[in-house]
Amino acid sequence: MSGRAAYIADLAFPDVLHVSILRSPFAHARITAIDVSAARAHGGVVQVWTGADVLPRCGGVMARMELPGFVPTVQPILAHDIVRFVGEAVAVVVATSQAAAEDALELIDVDYDELPVVADIASAVAAEVIANEAVPANLVYRGHRCQDDVDNDFARAACVAQGRFSNNRVSATPMEPRGCIASHEWTSGQLTVWSATQMPSFLKTMLAIHLAFPEQRIEVITPQVGGGFGQKAHVHPEEILVCLLAIELGRPIRWIEDRRENLLSATHAKHQINEMAIAVDADGRFLAMRNRSSTDGGAYNSLPWTHLVESHVGASTLTGPYRIANFNDESLSLVTNKCPIGAYRGVGWSAGHIARETLIDRAGRELGLSPFEIRRRNLVDQSDYPFTTPTGLVIREGTFVQTLDRLEQMVDYRSFRERQTAALAKGKLLGLGLCVFNEVSGVGTRALSFLHTPVTTHDTATVRVEPTGKITVTTPLVAAGQGHLTTFAQVAADAFGVPLDDVTVLAGTTRNAHGFGTVASRGAVFGAGTIGRAAEAVKVKIRQLAAHLLQTGAERITLSEGRVHVTGSPEQGMPLADLAGAAYFADATHPPEFDPALEATAAFDPADVVLANGGHAAIVEIDLETCLVRVDQMFAVEDCGKMINPMIVEGQIRGGIAQAIGMTLLEELVHDGEGQLVTTTLMDYLLPTSVDVPDVQIAHLETPSDLVPGGVKGMGESAMISAPAAIIGAVNDALALVGASVESFPASPQRIFDALQRASKVDAVPAL
Amino acid sequence: MTDQEGQLPVRVTLNGQPASFLAAPRTSLSDALRDKLRLTGLKQGCEIGVCGSCTILVDDKPIRACLMLAVQADGKRIETIEGLATNGELHPLQASFQRHHGLQCGFCTSGMVLTALALLRDNPAPSRDEAREAISGNLCRCTGYETIIDAIVDPDAMRATQVGHG
Ligand code: FES
Ligand code: FES
Repeated sequence: MSGRAAYIADLAFPDVLHVSILRSPFAHARITAIDVSAARAHGGVVQVWTGADVLPRCGGVMARMELPGFVPTVQPILAHDIVRFVGEAVAVVVATSQAAAEDALELIDVDYDELPVVADIASAVAAEVIANEAVPANLVYRGHRCQDDVDNDFARAACVAQGRFSNNRVSATPMEPRGCIASHEWTSGQLTVWSATQMPSFLKTMLAIHLAFPEQRIEVITPQVGGGFGQKAHVHPEEILVCLLAIELGRPIRWIEDRRENLLSATHAKHQINEMAIAVDADGRFLAMRNRSSTDGGAYNSLPWTHLVESHVGASTLTGPYRIANFNDESLSLVTNKCPIGAYRGVGWSAGHIARETLIDRAGRELGLSPFEIRRRNLVDQSDYPFTTPTGLVIREGTFVQTLDRLEQMVDYRSFRERQTAALAKGKLLGLGLCVFNEVSGVGTRALSFLHTPVTTHDTATVRVEPTGKITVTTPLVAAGQGHLTTFAQVAADAFGVPLDDVTVLAGTTRNAHGFGTVASRGAVFGAGTIGRAAEAVKVKIRQLAAHLLQTGAERITLSEGRVHVTGSPEQGMPLADLAGAAYFADATHPPEFDPALEATAAFDPADVVLANGGHAAIVEIDLETCLVRVDQMFAVEDCGKMINPMIVEGQIRGGIAQAIGMTLLEELVHDGEGQLVTTTLMDYLLPTSVDVPDVQIAHLETPSDLVPGGVKGMGESAMISAPAAIIGAVNDALALVGASVESFPASPQRIFDALQRASKVDAVPAL
Repeated sequence: MTDQEGQLPVRVTLNGQPASFLAAPRTSLSDALRDKLRLTGLKQGCEIGVCGSCTILVDDKPIRACLMLAVQADGKRIETIEGLATNGELHPLQASFQRHHGLQCGFCTSGMVLTALALLRDNPAPSRDEAREAISGNLCRCTGYETIIDAIVDPDAMRATQVGHG
């Protein structure tokens, strides 16, 4: 804001060395020779490494999921022998300036023998060519959540809606590219790593393992992070590389990637095909759903999410908040010669939701039911709770029908249909789409095991009341723009009944506390959970001491407005500062056996899956001349339990909706048949601008969670779970006017043009 | 070639003060400001003129510092985000961004604020659409833009820029 916040690229170190990484120009090739001699001789160059130099120091990034049948992979830090995607790191130059490192990079001579390429899902499944010889038949994992018999349902259905939905490969594209700086102090044996990461504690542990370095001597510091959205929630090979170089050279090593590198080699996302069908009876009730989802996962598994982050995780909530009795699914996680797939807001859910909601709309159209009515007939309602979905998710709370009703009011459905008809007469295609969802939020151990990605996670926080009554909180969670520090301070301020200004939250280093990371809508939930529990532990001491001083029972003590007092009579008490002073300095005031430490560390991991819910609606217009889709209006209803700070919640919704517009209408990482990425700049990879994103109308419902202190639920992913489905629903609603539809995304002008060419009701619009 | 070789002197007025530095002919103004003068408030999200995060004002016009060579700035008047806040107090436009939650990660913010400042100096009372249009060359991945527009058309921000703070 004032230009003073320091991001990774802003940090200055004396004696720092700069890194530039040579990346593979081929999707699959054998390296037959590398000559680095000219680069080594270049002025300012301190070191040049290839795969052969790194291999003895670190075998590569190991990523596995403990599931039977899962095929793990190892991504070399620098490729040796074989490169498996365009952009894979092949060599590194370390020099005294960035310019010298980049110049020297051009002097490296690599001979490649090209190998056949697995460029898409079809060729991965055919398995005539193998993308990564560690993975037989190109299959990392084949999953089934449910194998219900659905044939009967499909046979007796009044309506079967089905499609094959190709979701595009996209990039989270935080405005700040990735970066990492490492410094090794050999005298103390301390390794300090600055990284723009969402998972500092996890990175620290993984560095210890991959570098065989004592973990207690590693500190990971997160500066201000310029957006992450999941992309910075991985351990990247470059982070390990930078540490290896720092240890080897004894000088700080700095790697800041440029945008091209980011688009080439930072994890991609959301690339899956869903072949889905739903069976619906004559009353519009869903009988069954069938789906096969295939992920184009890239050449390696990302750490920690692996290929499973897409189709496999997506299947877990594919039946959504609907009563669908029978579900039969298969998910395939396939290796291809592309950049590894990883986490990006909404993860595996976005694509499946688009497919499901498109089919629901189609069935509604066929049965003459409005998009609201067909959903209303199928949504799980209060009277169904607890409702167990076919995948075993137990829905105990949620405001699905209320969400739908609210959306219907917000869009003013009847008048929309009138406007749509009037516009059609003038040759304009308007469309309306919506989606209702539940979000597995605040993802902890229970949620990860429900998602069949068995990882144990918990976080800790430390809360200390200082001698003057001020509060210091330390948390392992980092802020990449979600406003967490304010949120956390609020949690502590509320717990102790003090003004926000009396609380300081320390974050950004692994010296503070332990935690899994600020990913998967965890921040608010784990922040509230850990800080709430630690504060509770400290308050027990405060109550104990106050009770002794006020000669009453501890259960009668309240903290409010900066005071500790007898409940109901604020004058019978003292300022928190006085009580804290007594705890620290006035031994004589203590009750017998009193432990005066006004400090506690507590862990938190929700006892069950924390479910948030909500819905989105979109109204779009398709320009028949340009085939451009414009999003005219967006609506969001969010129920994320108790809101600590509505402005922050709304910021997450608006930002997620902008990303949804990008993903569905603009953004696409395009590879040619040789696996060559052709969209390597922001001129080809189109992010939504201010003129692409309308203002968003937001409504809140508030069903507090009883699993998290304070009733909080996470919601960071919500807009990318369901807004894409609403937007595509709107596009298809508009196209349906002329008997057309799209199933391949993004719905770019070219795809809209192609769809219109195939339109069956061209007479509907005079202009066509 | 050593770093000193072939560098040219560049003299500018920087946030109201005279400043000078040496730059190689190929060095971009954004690199020079960040590396030589340690003005790291301007960010680099693409380095090819698309994202707008490196926007600064040169002779009152918003320009992309990554597209301008440092030597081209010789003799010009440059304003960066560091020049806006005075004596620890945010510029009213910055305060408005804060009030409206017009930033999340903050990476695009200095470019957004300077683009908005140039708009407000030109057009003291822009409509929402005009504000939307003005920032359409600046990418933000976090906010969805709405609150940035709120911050620009905020009456306090508009008034303060008019009466000469800006
Ligand atoms: S860094 Fe200059 S426009 Fe992106
Ligand atoms: S606030 Fe993060 S890019 Fe704009």
